[in-house]
Amino acid sequence: MNTTINEVNGELVAVFSGRLDTAAAVQTERDVQPLSNCDGKDIVLDCRALEYISSSGLRIFLSVLKAAKAKDRQVFITGMNDDIRNVFAMTGFTNLFQFR
Amino acid sequence: MTRKVKNIWQGLQRRSSLAILITAAVLIETTSVVQYLFAYRGTKQVVEQYAMSELKTKNMEIQREVRSVEEAVSYVTYALERNLNNPEAIYTLERALLERNHAISGCAVAFKEGYIKGDRWNELFVGRDEGGALVQRQIGDENHNYFELDWYKETIEADCGHWTDPYIDNAGSKAEVCSYTMPLRDKDGDVVAVFCADMSLDWLMEIFKTQSEASSTFLLSSTGVIIAMTNNVFENIEAVQDAVSNANDSMIDKVTRAMLSGDTGRAKINKSQVFYGPVEGGTGWSLAVVFADDVVYDRLNKLSINLAIFMLLGLGLLAFIMFRTVRGFRKLQVVNAEKERIGNELAIASGIQKGMLPCTFPPYPDRDEITMYGSLVPAKEVGGDLYDFYIRDEKLFFCIGDVSGKGVPASLVMAVTRSLFRTVSTHIDKPELIMKQINDAMSEMNESSMFVTLFIGMLDLHSGILSYSNAGHCPPYLVTAPNCDPIPLEMDANIPVGLMKDWSYTAQSTAIRPGNVVFLYTDGLTEAENTSHELYGEERLRKCIAGCADITPHALIAHITDSVHAFVGDAEQSDDLTMLGVLFNKYLTISGNTLHLNNNVQHVPHLANFIDSVAEANGIDPATTMSLNLAMEEAVVNVIKYAYPDGVIGDIDVTATVEDGTITFTIEDSGVAFDPTAKADPDLTLAAEDRPIGGLGIHLVRQLMDSIGYERRSDKNILTLTKKYNQQ
Repeated sequence: MNTTINEVNGELVAVFSGRLDTAAAVQTERDVQPLSNCDGKDIVLDCRALEYISSSGLRIFLSVLKAAKAKDRQVFITGMNDDIRNVFAMTGFTNLFQFR
Repeated sequence: MTRKVKNIWQGLQRRSSLAILITAAVLIETTSVVQYLFAYRGTKQVVEQYAMSELKTKNMEIQREVRSVEEAVSYVTYALERNLNNPEAIYTLERALLERNHAISGCAVAFKEGYIKGDRWNELFVGRDEGGALVQRQIGDENHNYFELDWYKETIEADCGHWTDPYIDNAGSKAEVCSYTMPLRDKDGDVVAVFCADMSLDWLMEIFKTQSEASSTFLLSSTGVIIAMTNNVFENIEAVQDAVSNANDSMIDKVTRAMLSGDTGRAKINKSQVFYGPVEGGTGWSLAVVFADDVVYDRLNKLSINLAIFMLLGLGLLAFIMFRTVRGFRKLQVVNAEKERIGNELAIASGIQKGMLPCTFPPYPDRDEITMYGSLVPAKEVGGDLYDFYIRDEKLFFCIGDVSGKGVPASLVMAVTRSLFRTVSTHIDKPELIMKQINDAMSEMNESSMFVTLFIGMLDLHSGILSYSNAGHCPPYLVTAPNCDPIPLEMDANIPVGLMKDWSYTAQSTAIRPGNVVFLYTDGLTEAENTSHELYGEERLRKCIAGCADITPHALIAHITDSVHAFVGDAEQSDDLTMLGVLFNKYLTISGNTLHLNNNVQHVPHLANFIDSVAEANGIDPATTMSLNLAMEEAVVNVIKYAYPDGVIGDIDVTATVEDGTITFTIEDSGVAFDPTAKADPDLTLAAEDRPIGGLGIHLVRQLMDSIGYERRSDKNILTLTKKYNQQ
């Protein structure tokens, strides 16, 4: 599991690749820490290379969303595969995020 | 050195020392012989000179005595011839002669038969009595028939002055005498009487009294009778006589003849030297000085014997010293041989030690889950570092250790440690327990207080879970990718092995992902010193690893080795240098239907591996596999989080059974009773701000699986999940 954060066109883009399972969540949670200081920038969660997500991953996404909402910023998700979209659906997360 | 060469060498030594001894002996003996010969010659010369002077002196003294007698006799002869018919005058003249000449013990005028009428015998004798007073009497009678005696007959015959051989004068002087006789003539010139003057041999003996011990002198008459000799002559002459009696007669004859014919010379008769020469004058006597070699050379011989004894002692001392020296050489030789033997044994020991470590790389050519490489370079012939690994039950057991100290003692402890590791780990699966057993065994027999820093790891090839226990060893690095900073494995502080019995070692575990490398090393790497005594250090090591583009163990270790060599330069290697690299390539495909986990979220990938394997084995479609993965992760993570208190390592067993298109998983744990199915579903309609962070796990399980059941049985939580699937 690998996470990188870049600023693209005034937005913070977090690119996830690999399996975001419970074991990887510990590290990923650390990796997305910079997103909590979004400073007026919207956040994009790039999931094109994300293979798998479990509830631990969802919790990270929710944390990011909560932090952004608290700062009145938007969180977009982009490039989810069907499996992950299904998980989002099952957990009602589809209603929480905006998708691009 | 071979035995043969050794023998030759020892032979040479023995021979050379023998040669020195012989040379010394020859030198010493030659010296003493030469010395003896010189001394002998010197003595001989002295003896000759002495003999000659002795001959001369004695000769002169004898001559003096003889002359005085001869002269006195010739004077009185004249007077006697004028008074032949006057016996009283004859007596008077004889008395006067005796009074003036003490050499003459007595004298007599013996008339021819018939010259004096009446008596047939007329010998008018004057002699000395015992008190020295002169006595006179006529001594001729039937008993003393002088006409028949040699002196009388010879004188008549010789018709001139004549010295007799020594004889015992029974009638006159009553002693052993030598007489000078002179014929007396009447007016007509006819010989009518013989005048005889006796010289006592006792008187002559006085001359021979002053004589050295070494020599004897004797006087020989013209007929070969000994007239006089030194007092000791018979003591010394015994030898001479022995010699004479034993020697060949011709030699004695020759000497006697030479003496009688008045020659001067010398001769050697057996063990005596005889110097002889004639007495001057008309006596016809010959004088001889005899030196018995025994006596003359006695002192010289004694000196030579003493000298020889001293020299033999010296030779003995020399031999002793040489023996000691050679023995010293031998000892040195023995010490050298011992050194050589130890050297050989060390070389053998080094070979044995190398043979103990896995040294064939790649060690498991048939396995593609792991790639390994190890390297151990001891600072001396044998070292105290060790590494070892082997695979049992699809688990890689490996260790790396460093025994305190270096050399042979360390190598022995190293061998023990390695054996214990192999023995103990054959029946124990927990690194901390393996460590404990090794520690207990080593502490018990640790007489020399040596200890070992040891790292024991157990890598489950199915799950990639690395369990490890560390006893004071430097933490291994986890290298996740090329050109990445290495991450030191987290370590509990445990004491090194061998110090304290019954120490409870702890273990940790971490999940190794495919592509990760565990790099283990001993402090010989970080403490490698260069010529300025700087240490290589962990900082350099980390940088070196981070700068490595190829992290397969062989390449990684080669890279680090080059770096250390470049750093150390010409400095001598001070400690054993050991490195071991384990690259985890991929999970081992699970063939069975059970999986064992610990309550560690890091074990989750192992679970995924297990489910993928089961799904693949049963032909379950990818979408369902994904669902099973997610559901099982959520269920197991739930157990991991809630079944066991923090800090307690707990077991979780997962079993998969497949029947009629339905897959059933059971998850068992021994933790506190906990029923996840009792949890209410979360409210999915809440806005993000209001949604709680957790609580989604069981919801997902319910969504994804067909059924979920909980049971508490035998102090175990048993969770059962089922799902129908479409066979591909």
